[in-house]
Amino acid sequence: MIKLMELEWRKLERKKVIGELIIYWAILTFLPTFFLKVVFADLPTADFNQSYSNAMALMLPIQMGFVMFGASLINHVFIEEYKNKTIALSFGYPISRKRLVTAKAMFIVSAVFICTVISFALAGIATYALDRALGVIAGEPSLADIAVYAFRAIIHSLVVALSSLIPLFCFGLWRRAVVPTVIFAVAIIQLPTLLGLIQISVNPDAMYATLCLLGLVSACLSVLTANTLGDL
Amino acid sequence: MSDIVRTYELTKTAKGKTIVSNVNLRVKKGEIYGLLGPNGAGKTTIMKMIAGLVLPTSGEIELFGKKLAETAKEGLKRVGSIIEYPIFFEHLTAMQNLELHCEYLGFYDKKAIRDALGLVDLNGVEQQKVKEFSLGMKQRLGIARAAITKPELIVLDEPTNGLDPIGIKDMRELIQTLNKEYGITFLLSSHILGEIEQVADRIGVVRHGRLADEVSMPDVRQMRTDYIEIVASNVQKSVYLLEHHLRLSNLKIVQDNKIRIYDASLSTGEISKLLITQGIEIEEIRKHTSTLEDYFYHRIQGGDRLD
Repeated sequence: MIKLMELEWRKLERKKVIGELIIYWAILTFLPTFFLKVVFADLPTADFNQSYSNAMALMLPIQMGFVMFGASLINHVFIEEYKNKTIALSFGYPISRKRLVTAKAMFIVSAVFICTVISFALAGIATYALDRALGVIAGEPSLADIAVYAFRAIIHSLVVALSSLIPLFCFGLWRRAVVPTVIFAVAIIQLPTLLGLIQISVNPDAMYATLCLLGLVSACLSVLTANTLGDL
Repeated sequence: MSDIVRTYELTKTAKGKTIVSNVNLRVKKGEIYGLLGPNGAGKTTIMKMIAGLVLPTSGEIELFGKKLAETAKEGLKRVGSIIEYPIFFEHLTAMQNLELHCEYLGFYDKKAIRDALGLVDLNGVEQQKVKEFSLGMKQRLGIARAAITKPELIVLDEPTNGLDPIGIKDMRELIQTLNKEYGITFLLSSHILGEIEQVADRIGVVRHGRLADEVSMPDVRQMRTDYIEIVASNVQKSVYLLEHHLRLSNLKIVQDNKIRIYDASLSTGEISKLLITQGIEIEEIRKHTSTLEDYFYHRIQGGDRLD
C-alpha cells in the first residue's frame, strides 16, 4: 500500500502541487496574527488576544483551510486521472480497483495530515515570533500551552485530513467535477460560520467528530463502489 | 496451439444499451489476431475488457487459462496494451512513464527500459516530456511500454491510427518482429483493412457487438473469388457464345446487361476478342479481385458467402 501511495506522489505534477502548498503555508502561517492584530483588535467581544490558550481557539479553525488542499488533491489524484484517462493505465495493472482507490484516498489523507501538522508548527512559530515583535497576545506561552497546542495540532490535523475526504465520493469518484469539489471544501471550512449565521449552536468537538465520520463514510463508499462507479 | 485468450459469452451493457453481446473469442498462442468491424461495433470494448480496463457485465474472460476477475488480475502481468490511443502522464518524461509502468508491475530492470526504447527507435529522447512528443512517437512509446516486460500478449487498438505511411510500415514491421522473434501474441484491431490483411493470422468480425465470424487468413484467401465482369448489349447471346465457344460454365447473369465469369484462367482480351468478332457491343469489361475488404464488407452486411 505504501508503494502504491508513493507511486501516486510520483505521478503528480509535483511542481504545481508544491507551489499550491507553499501558498497555503504562506497564508495560514500569518493569518492568525493578521486576525489577532487587525480583524479582532477592536472587537470587544473577541478575547483571542488575552492569552495564548485563548489564541489557540483561533488557530484551530484557521488550519481547516487545508481541506482546500485535500480538494485540490482529489482533483489531481481522481478527477484529472479520469478526465485524461490515465486511470485506465492503473486499471490495466494486476491490482484491484478497490486497492487502487484505497491507496489514492490514503495518499490524500496522509498528505493533508502531514502538511497540516507542518502548517500548525509554522503558524505557532510565526505567531510567537510576531507577538515578540508586535505584542499581539497578552502574556507568555506556558509549557502546558505548548503541550496542549502540539496535542491539538495533531488531533486537529487528523480532523482536517479526514474532513478533506468528504467530497471524494460524490464529486471525486461519482460526478468527477472539480468546481463542486472545491465549493464543497469551502463549505466545510466555513461550516462553523454558516451554522452561526443560521443561529445553530453546535459543540465544536461534536462538529469535528461528525466531519471525520462523514469523511470516513465517503472514503468507504468510494472504495466499495470502485468497480461500479469507478468504471471507465 | 493453446489459447491465450478465451472469452465466454462476454457481454457489456452501459446505460441500458448492449455494447458487446455474448462474444466467444479465442486467441491462440503465437498468432496475430485481428478484430474487424465498423465504428461502434464493440471492438474497443472487447479489447478493454480483455485488458482489464472495463469490467464485463456478464460472461468470463480467461487469460493464459485462468479466469480474469477483479480479485484475480495476475494474468494482466503478462499482457501489454494500447487501447484507443496511447495514454501517458504527459508532464512526465518518457523514461519516468516507463519507470512508473515497471514499478506498478513490480518489474525493475533499467536495461529492459533502454532496450524497449531502442526497439522503437526512441533512444535519445527518453528525458523529453511526453507532451512534446508527436503522435507517432507516442505510438512507438506506447509499444515500448507494452513490450517492456516482454509480455506474452499485446493488445493494440487501432495501432496505426494517425500515423503517416512510413509510421504505418514501421508499426507493421515492429508487430511482425515482436511476433516472430519474441513469440508475442497480438490481438489488434484496425480500420485499415489492408494493414490487418498484411499482419493477421486470423480475424474476428465484430458486428453490432457480436462476433459475427472468426476465420483464418488462409481461409479468407481461399474464399476470395476473382471474376470478370462484362457489361454487354446482348446478354443472352453473350452467354451462349461464352458457353459454346470458350466452354465456360462458371458464369452468371447478375443484371439485365451484366455477366460475371468465375474463371481465373481466361483473360479479358480473349473474351472481348470473341464477343466483338461475334458482333456484341461491349460497354465495359474488367477483372475484379476480391480483397479482405470485400470479405469484411460482406460479413458486416450480414451475408452468408462472397459473391
